[in-house]
Amino acid sequence: MKRLLIAAAAACVALLLLALSALAFGHDPRELLAILVRGSVGSPFAIAGTLLKSVPLLLTGLSVAIAFRAGVWNIGGEGQFIAGALAGLLGARYGVIVSLLAAMLAGAAWASLATAMRLWRNAPEVLTTILLNFIAIHLLGWCVNGPLQERAAQYPQTDAAAATLPALGSVHFGVVLALAASIGSWWLLYRTAEGLRLRATGLNPSAARWAGIRVSAQLARAMAVSGAAAGLAGGIELLGVTHRLFERFAAGYGYAGIAVALLAQLHPLAVVASALFFGALTTGAGELQRTAGISSGVATLGQAVVILVLIGVDYVRTRR
Amino acid sequence: MKRAVLAFAFLVLACAKPETSAPANTSTAPAATRGAASTSKPFRVGLLTPGSINDGGWNAIAWEGMQRIQKELGAEISHQETKTPAEFDEGFRSYGAKKFDLAFGHGFEFQDAAKKAGAEYPDTMFVTTSGSTVARNVAPMRFRLEEATYLLGVIAARESKTGKAGLVGGINLPSIASTFEAFKAGAHSVNPKFEVKEIYTGNFDDLGAAKVATLSLINAGADFVFHQANEAGRGVFQACSERKIRCFGSNKNQNDLAPDVIVASAVLDVPGAFVRMAKTVRDKQFKPEIQMFGMANGIVTLEWNEKLKGTLAPATVAEVERLEAQIKQGALQVPLGF
Repeated sequence: MKRLLIAAAAACVALLLLALSALAFGHDPRELLAILVRGSVGSPFAIAGTLLKSVPLLLTGLSVAIAFRAGVWNIGGEGQFIAGALAGLLGARYGVIVSLLAAMLAGAAWASLATAMRLWRNAPEVLTTILLNFIAIHLLGWCVNGPLQERAAQYPQTDAAAATLPALGSVHFGVVLALAASIGSWWLLYRTAEGLRLRATGLNPSAARWAGIRVSAQLARAMAVSGAAAGLAGGIELLGVTHRLFERFAAGYGYAGIAVALLAQLHPLAVVASALFFGALTTGAGELQRTAGISSGVATLGQAVVILVLIGVDYVRTRR
Repeated sequence: MKRAVLAFAFLVLACAKPETSAPANTSTAPAATRGAASTSKPFRVGLLTPGSINDGGWNAIAWEGMQRIQKELGAEISHQETKTPAEFDEGFRSYGAKKFDLAFGHGFEFQDAAKKAGAEYPDTMFVTTSGSTVARNVAPMRFRLEEATYLLGVIAARESKTGKAGLVGGINLPSIASTFEAFKAGAHSVNPKFEVKEIYTGNFDDLGAAKVATLSLINAGADFVFHQANEAGRGVFQACSERKIRCFGSNKNQNDLAPDVIVASAVLDVPGAFVRMAKTVRDKQFKPEIQMFGMANGIVTLEWNEKLKGTLAPATVAEVERLEAQIKQGALQVPLGF
């Protein structure tokens, strides 16, 4: 609880620092904050934008949180997101459910490649997952220029997916799925024996081994679940927002998930709030650029500041 | 713990203060624009780019176009760098909701979002840079650089001594292959047996690869080289300068980069097209059709290197100028690759 309060305070500090950065652009900090708030939650339109961006952030955030809880540094969310979207596109002809299941499976499989390399050659996930990101990005590039290119063969993009997520007002059903995934992850981590073993492995693998947990199998399962969450994010983004794939499809959601999970202190339910915060920040930053001409890069700046503040707080706490 | 709660409460208050002032701000801003609308509504233009406008390339030229729109038409301009696909919709719809007159999406990937927003906001025109989606208030801009590269092909075929020319491309994209097809068509219109070989290096920034590709074309007998390799094009010029082989510039007027060998450049004025498009919308002349920009409206030009123009056969220059006039009048249709 206390950690979550600190995280919330860190988010506020980040917002304040961000507002102060307005001075550098020659704007009133209060004006900047006002536009940020108005552009992210000030109208039904803005709220829809915030929700739409929060869904992939929530799922990639969960993906990171689950892996980190098990002690695996899965920073391959971007690649798993793309793998999920590619499989989702192929599965879409059999309907939404098949498409999303395919997306989860593909995400899990892509993450499991890193696990396989860990078991086979003891290659660290922190390296293999990030390298798998680049492979996925180029795989997507090849697909949209080659086998999956639109039938008109004019632009490097695919045709629209055969299935679409049902709409919920001006957002899509993915909002419900993401919330369900968050509750499901909480249940898994805190209400099941599997979750206990997973967390024990993350806290102290040697102790977990002595307690009779098969650590490598445990890590493999955590990684697969983590990959499935990121893959689902890719599938939902495809069926709910873009409806087709192109090279810039992933847009950094996989990496942003790391900031989301850290701000949430790796707690699956707090990830919801954290994803909403970053979703709102991105949406507000868009409005900021449209109306005040301040680069929407402030959203990225905000992510960085949040993480730096959290690290600073942790540092102070551990020294005391 | 207590201290943390206190600090948190303080921060919440600090954050909350501007939030309460937000509605006051929002209520004044639209009122101001509404007041302005009743007298003389400003012409407003928005732009969505897929990346940073400081990239010195694709996005920078769009921003240059916007700045010219601001200066030449006195328009209010707005821009958003869309980081995620969800922002394509959001950006367009936001411009529509604010009753912008025109919103550009700088890339084919904005077509779906333009179509959706176009149906929702009929008073705003949505224009994508390249694409094929057309609706009542939605249209793509397309550029016919081919009209200039066709003429380059004519020059090469008329002036070549070996009967061979080389083409160096970055990535084999439809838009690039199309300019090469036009080059070949121009060359073959002079001499059906003229040989044109092309090499794609696979990227737009490897100068070394472009240079090696150029040298291999020269070694195979090419005595004219044209490139479509963006940054890597400098490698082409290096190779041509070393071997004293004549070549052509592309997209920008590159004649000064290697004034001893570049005979002419096929130039595409994208910012000019943005201004032209904005004028069309301002004057209520917008038509829902693919917006073609070529030699006829001065967006595509053939820029001679005056220093080398005199070394060509006068008949070649005269012929190219005759064909140029025909293209401008629409009497000569340059074949497009797609």
